[in-house]
Order: sequence, then C-alpha cells, then structure tokens
Amino acid sequence: MSCGELERLFLAGASPEAVRRHAGGCATCARLNADLESTAEMSAGLVLPPLAASLRKSLLEIPRRTVSCDGAERLLPFAVEGEIGADDERRLASHLSRCAACAEAAETLLGSRDLAQPIAPPWLAARLTAARPAKERGLWAWILDPKAVIAVAYAAALLVMLLGFNPADLARRVRSGQIGENTRAAVTVAESSLTDRVGALQEKIARTFAIWKGRAGGYGRAAVSNAMMFLWKSSTTKERGGERSRNRDGRGAFKGTEMTNTSWRA
Amino acid sequence: MSAEEKTLVDRCRQGEDDAWRELVDRFGQKVYSVAYHFTLNREDAEELSQEIFLKTFENLHRYDGSFPLVAWLLSISRNLCIDRYRRKKREKSFRFVSDDAVAPLLKSTDDPAAEALKKERTKLLFSAIAEIPEDLAEILVLRDLDGLAYDEIGKMLELPDGTVKSRLFRARAEVARRIRERHERRGSAGAFQTLALAAGGVL
Ligand SMILES: [Zn+2]
Ligand SMILES: [Zn+2]
Repeated sequence: MSCGELERLFLAGASPEAVRRHAGGCATCARLNADLESTAEMSAGLVLPPLAASLRKSLLEIPRRTVSCDGAERLLPFAVEGEIGADDERRLASHLSRCAACAEAAETLLGSRDLAQPIAPPWLAARLTAARPAKERGLWAWILDPKAVIAVAYAAALLVMLLGFNPADLARRVRSGQIGENTRAAVTVAESSLTDRVGALQEKIARTFAIWKGRAGGYGRAAVSNAMMFLWKSSTTKERGGERSRNRDGRGAFKGTEMTNTSWRA
Repeated sequence: MSAEEKTLVDRCRQGEDDAWRELVDRFGQKVYSVAYHFTLNREDAEELSQEIFLKTFENLHRYDGSFPLVAWLLSISRNLCIDRYRRKKREKSFRFVSDDAVAPLLKSTDDPAAEALKKERTKLLFSAIAEIPEDLAEILVLRDLDGLAYDEIGKMLELPDGTVKSRLFRARAEVARRIRERHERRGSAGAFQTLALAAGGVL
C-alpha cells in the first residue's frame, strides 16, 4: 500500500504540491495518490439531490403535527383531565410516541390518576355505599389546592415506592433531566417533604396495613395502595372540611361517594 | 453565529412560523442530502428527513447554542441515519446501486455518452462506499458528498478533529483502492470479451 507519508501529509494539512512531490519519488504512494485524485474528482462532480417541494411543505407543517417537550408539558395536565381538543391530543400522542422522557412523565401523571380512583375491596365497598354521599365535585378540582399538590406528590412517591423504586433513585432521575419540568417541580415538592415525612408515612402505611390485614386477610400491594389513597384522601377531606363547597365544577364525581374519617377508620 | 442560531431556535420554540420556515429552508436541503446519501432512495430519504425535523422540533429546548445548529441537528438524528443505513446495507440491492439511485446526483448534460460514463462511475463510487466499514463510510459521505466541515462532523459524531481526519483519509484510500480494483477487473473482463469476440470472428 502506502508508505504512510501521504496520510501524514494529509493530517498535517500539507499542500497538494507537497503531496505530489512525495508521490513523484515513491512508487506505492504514486499509485495511491492517483487513485485518491480520481475518486475525489468523481465525488466533486456530483450535485446534491434536490429537496422536493412537497417534502419542504410537509416539513413546514411539523409544528402542526407534533408538540415540543415544553408543549407536551403544557398539554399533559389537560389530557389527564380529558379537557383536550382532538388536534392537541393528536399532536401530544405523536410526541409521546417518540419522546421517552415525556412518555414517562405522562405515565406518572396517568398513574396518579389511577391511584386517585382506587378500586375498593368488596367489604370496603359495602361500607362506602353506606357512607354519606359527597357533594359532587370535579375529580381534578383538588389539584388546584396547594395542599393537594403535596398529596399528589405523596401519591407519586408512593406509587414509585410501591413499584419497588426508591425516592433517591427517582430524585437522581429528576436531576439528570429525564423527567419534564412540571413533573420535576412536583417531585421536588415530594422530595423536600419526603425526607422528613417518608418515615412517618411508612409507619402509617404499616399501621393501616396491619389493621386491614387483621380484618380482611392479605390484600397485598393493591390493598396498601388503596389504604394509602384513602388515608390521604380522608386527611385532605378533613383538613378542607368546610371549603368543599368551593369546588364548583360538577363533572366526574368521585364515584358518587366520598369517605369521611369515620366511614373507613376502624 | 451560534448566538444568532440560538435566537432562531428560541423563536421557533415560541411558535413563530417564520422562524420555523427559516430553519427548514436553511437546513432542509442539507438534511435531505445526508439522508439521501445514506439511503440512496428518495422515499426513504424523505421519510428520514421528516423524522429528523420532527425530532428537531420536539427537542428545540435542548439546543444551547454551544455548537453549530447544523451539527446539532444532525447529531440528534445520527442514530436514525445509521439505523436506516444498516438496514439498507443488509439488503443486497444496496451494493448494486441502480441507475435511479444515482440519477438525482448527476448534473444533466447534452452529452449522453459522458452522462452514461458518469453514471457508471457514480454507481461504482457508491458500491465501494457500501463495502467499507461504517465508521469510515459515514465520515466520507458527510465530508466529500455533503460538504460538512471537519468541526461539524466532529461535533456530530463526538470525535476529535484528528480522528475525523485520519478516518477520512483511510476511508478515501479504501474507496479509491476498491474502485481501481473494479476497474481492473472490468478491464480484464473487457479484454477477455474482446478476445472471445475475435475468436468468434475467426471461427
Ligand atoms: Zn510514500
Ligand atoms: Zn418530550
């Protein structure tokens, strides 16, 4: 092949004259250099493939076909509430199908929605039916309440714990920017209150679980998550007491019933 | 330069149609060329370009202006290009480049004979590129066919300039050698045909 000098000259940015001077006195490099020159001529003679007008038009429409990550974060809460237009929903879906970070944020939000509607075990359902009916309120109206934000953060943290992750792991992921801005904010709240409250919370879970287990046998993980949801729901209900009439929005009532402290606490 | 590009990106993020049009017009051709050179097929290249710009739009918030926008744009989509390239390379047809595949890369001339020769040479060039290792081929394509600068390629592939240059040299040498060998094979095959013809004439 070559004696290596051509490569050295190329890396050093030598002039074509210097290259030819060497090639003139070195048989192997002479052949390589001739090959290189003819190949260079070949590629230099080509033109760029023209961008079709139809493709350009379709590229220009991209902002109407998808959303950015910022946009997805703005739309997600509305999507969770089902208050999203068809166009926005399509754009959001298109984004989530390609963006792992936002898809994860969406899952977390949807996960907390599912938690907000725990399926009661049959024996508890009977008690709930007997409990006093709640005033109708929007399923998501509570999200406007600052206390509820912390509750959501708890729920998210719980979800994570119940699924077998630990808060530190989640926090690390938050810092590494894998989760969107809004989710980050929610989890930061969770993280700050988590450190000093997670111990108390775990104790609460354990106590509640012990009671439930004694009463109803092992419901496993589902029972714990249900228990926790009732726990925080009932405590926000208690704290907010008389404010409830403020939540005017009538859609999506909480299964027609709402627990009070006495309705579920044994 | 990058500060100006950052401003353009911020305007796109705010939903300014003019800004997005400017971005598409500034980089659409370049992105399409790269996609085309990696796929040698109009449909694939168009699909790939769409995918690249979709990703670009969705990730605008990640651009911090610390590198040329074109390199950032292509680095977002490098995996897409390489993925597609690998898939294409597994198809046998990729090494036997068709006339249609190279047609959009040729200047039209009034000389059909020269055009036919050019077409053959271009097909030879692309099948030689398809034969060399991928990490060499991609640098040769980006530099010699798409005209990207060394630092743009370096930032796109996260390689130091020295590595880009030495790979480029090796890529060119490999491609050049393969092209010559094919010429030689064809040359001897041609000589053999002439001989056979001559023999046929005698018989
Ligand atoms: Zn030499
Ligand atoms: Zn996203």
